[in-house]
Amino acid sequence: MADQDTIDLVKDIDVDKYKYGFTTDIEQEFAPRGLSEEVIRFISAKKNEPDWMLDWRLHAYRRWLDMVEPTWAKVSYPPIDFQSLYYYAAPKNVAGPKSLDEVDPKLLETYAKLGIPLKEQEILAGVRKQGEKSHLEEEGGTSMPVAVDAVFDSVSVVTTFKEELKKAGVIFCSISEALRDHPDLVKKYLGSVVPQGDNFYAALNAAVFSDGSFVYVPPNTRCPMELSTYFRINAKNTGQFERTLIIADKGSYVSYLEGCTAPTREETQLHAAVVELIALEGAEIKYSTVQNWYPGDKDGKGGVYNFVTKRGDCREAHAKISWTQVETGSAITWKYPSCILRGDHARGEFYSIAISNGRQQVDSGTKMIHLGKHTSSRIISKGIAAGHSDNTYRGLVSAHRKALHARNFTQCDSLLIGDKCGAHTVPYLEAKTSTAQFEHEATTSKISDDQMFYVMSRGLSEEEAVALIVNGFVRDVLQQLPMEFMAETQKLIGISLEGSVG
Amino acid sequence: MTTAAPAAVLTPAEMAIGTPLPSRRQEDWKWTDLRRRIETPYERAAAVADAARVAKLIAADPLAKLPLRRVVFVNGVLDRTHSDLAGLTLTTGAPDLTEDEPLATMNATLADAAVTLAISGAADRPLHLMFLTLADTPAAVGARVHVSVADGAALHLIESHRGVGQYLANPALSLALGKGAAVNRAKLELEDAAATHLAIADMTLAAHAVLRDFTLTSGAALNRQNGRVTFAGEGADARVTGAYLLGGSQHADTRLVVDHQVPRCVSREVFKCVMDGAARGVFQGKVIVARDAQKTDGKQSSHALLLSEQAEFDAKPELEIYADDVVCGHGATSGDLDHDHMFYLMSRGIPHDEAKAMLIAAFVGEVFDGVDHEGLKGVLTAFAENWLATHTR
Repeated sequence: MADQDTIDLVKDIDVDKYKYGFTTDIEQEFAPRGLSEEVIRFISAKKNEPDWMLDWRLHAYRRWLDMVEPTWAKVSYPPIDFQSLYYYAAPKNVAGPKSLDEVDPKLLETYAKLGIPLKEQEILAGVRKQGEKSHLEEEGGTSMPVAVDAVFDSVSVVTTFKEELKKAGVIFCSISEALRDHPDLVKKYLGSVVPQGDNFYAALNAAVFSDGSFVYVPPNTRCPMELSTYFRINAKNTGQFERTLIIADKGSYVSYLEGCTAPTREETQLHAAVVELIALEGAEIKYSTVQNWYPGDKDGKGGVYNFVTKRGDCREAHAKISWTQVETGSAITWKYPSCILRGDHARGEFYSIAISNGRQQVDSGTKMIHLGKHTSSRIISKGIAAGHSDNTYRGLVSAHRKALHARNFTQCDSLLIGDKCGAHTVPYLEAKTSTAQFEHEATTSKISDDQMFYVMSRGLSEEEAVALIVNGFVRDVLQQLPMEFMAETQKLIGISLEGSVG
Repeated sequence: MTTAAPAAVLTPAEMAIGTPLPSRRQEDWKWTDLRRRIETPYERAAAVADAARVAKLIAADPLAKLPLRRVVFVNGVLDRTHSDLAGLTLTTGAPDLTEDEPLATMNATLADAAVTLAISGAADRPLHLMFLTLADTPAAVGARVHVSVADGAALHLIESHRGVGQYLANPALSLALGKGAAVNRAKLELEDAAATHLAIADMTLAAHAVLRDFTLTSGAALNRQNGRVTFAGEGADARVTGAYLLGGSQHADTRLVVDHQVPRCVSREVFKCVMDGAARGVFQGKVIVARDAQKTDGKQSSHALLLSEQAEFDAKPELEIYADDVVCGHGATSGDLDHDHMFYLMSRGIPHDEAKAMLIAAFVGEVFDGVDHEGLKGVLTAFAENWLATHTR
């Protein structure tokens, strides 16, 4: 079993380093290139949006015009020409398919090629044979159903398991459908965590976002299955701007997975998403991401610029939001999933693995903003830098005057592989009340020669040894991932670090 | 890192000092907005002619009774009458500071009598640099001192900063340690309660040099200290420590950059910050390890003890690492006194205030213990006890 894994791993590496670098030739419909009020009106009209939504977008666009690109992150890249992008690209003839049969077979092929995570892909590709045992379940467990929303370039193509979810009262659909079917919910919560003018990329997203996922879990409901979204940038010169909105009503629970890939292209691609989570009293949201956008080639050509705003609001008492992220892709990552701990006794968690290789640049971290009494948060961040990459953890923990007895524990560890990479830690602590207890610790080191010797003396190659040790290093975070993601992620870590030794 | 361009229109305070002041839009100054905080138009300080006044202030120095070689600077200018200069190599002028930052610019404007002290061999007595400021009207004072310690030389360097009145003191000290040189530096910031203290300590270590550094920050309404340790030669070792004892509405911000440019150096930073009343303490530490600085061992820690609900602590312990074979880490904590510890002591019959004082003394004790001069340690302990007596009720 373990041997087979190794052989598979090596095969994966041999074929091509980034196996999701294919493009799918299907008919696409574009908005005119560039960004203007007309383009926004075009997008809004395409989606038959109500007038208030168009006004909301235009308001965001006007704010965006007055904003400047942020430059504080430890990343460098040539200026982005926002007028050379397409802000809307949609596969033709897929307006709201009711089942997979209506989907372009080419699209299905695409999903078949998207290997992460394999089990979801199986279910997605074979909705009809639900309940059948997956060949990945060698241990004999039953296949766990996962509901999937797939977003292809700008448009949500298909959402599975809608009926089952409906029985539980859970709404899981694309945000365009939500605007049509549940406008009151969208109007109430959209932009309430990340307002239109929050930052440069969030404003851009608010102006042009074309789709994304919407989840509403009613009070005292435990969502019966994992919810999942795939994001895929396919068309050339398109930016992807999806927006996810998840609302967990009082006493509910939902676990949400997100996976992303993009084709190999010489030009860079822009991905500026916004994710808003709202947890009401006693609710819990668990949000997991495996981000594997195309990282560019070994010289740093091409790749995805991943400029994402993710924020959760523990709006009422005892709410809990947990972010888990595995960042292996993208040329540049600029992402800080955050928690606003507004309700008393609210809890925020952030678990992150960020791996950078080649010429990748990662500037990622979190913000834990303690506003309520007895709020607590925990941050575990593992950064691994290899090749010529730069990997920065940037995080803020703050307790406001009234956040009595706030509690935080932060641990960020960095591992350097090779002497051409950089690992940086930039934490901010702001304690405005003496009753807040903050602890922060960080370490940076390399894989010790003793560890390598021990593992290699047992017959593993250098590369396998590194993958094994790194997997041990990130274990604390891996354990937070849903079962379906764990095995895949371990493999992904091996692939991401390929070429980093020797 | 981006530095916002200085605003075109100077405030009255900026015009009086003659340089633009940094604002919170600049990353390094996000917690200490000098542009907003300094409203008083400080005029350039005049020379002090009244020797009796100076002598009285010198006599009141907590270090006055210790057998030290005293070099006195009054309003930024070397006071030859009150200094013990016999046998000391003293020249005018000083080299440029390593970092071109707002306080260095200010110092270049304010300090016009730079002094360089050259130390060789083992000094007979500790060197005491006493910086005094006398301001009858709001005055700005800059001092610029460079101490160069020859290869293999050893030096105890003690700095004290005191004054009377409302003033802005901007002392810049640079310290160059030669190969194998050993320096014990201690700084006591005990400025007037109305003062603003904006200091630079720029220290460079050649191969195998050893630096032990301690700063007590307890005076001034507004304090900002920009420290820098540059490792320029292999095998050097630096331990930089500090203690804050702040109350009222005091504000103290330390920005400490430890720059490992060469392999095999060791650095340790330990800061213990005690804030009472509505005081605000800030610690911004940054450890940089250059691409070639393999086998670096760098550790940084900052701990805050908040004694009142209005007290505040902000920290930014940064690591910027480009070499892979290193061991680096940092830790930061913030909190109030441990209630279990208080309970333990009080259950053994120790009164509340005394128990509190014991715990605070133990908290800062770690950095006090590192001071390698018995006389100075006694002065520090007495000072801390006095401070605790007024802040533990």
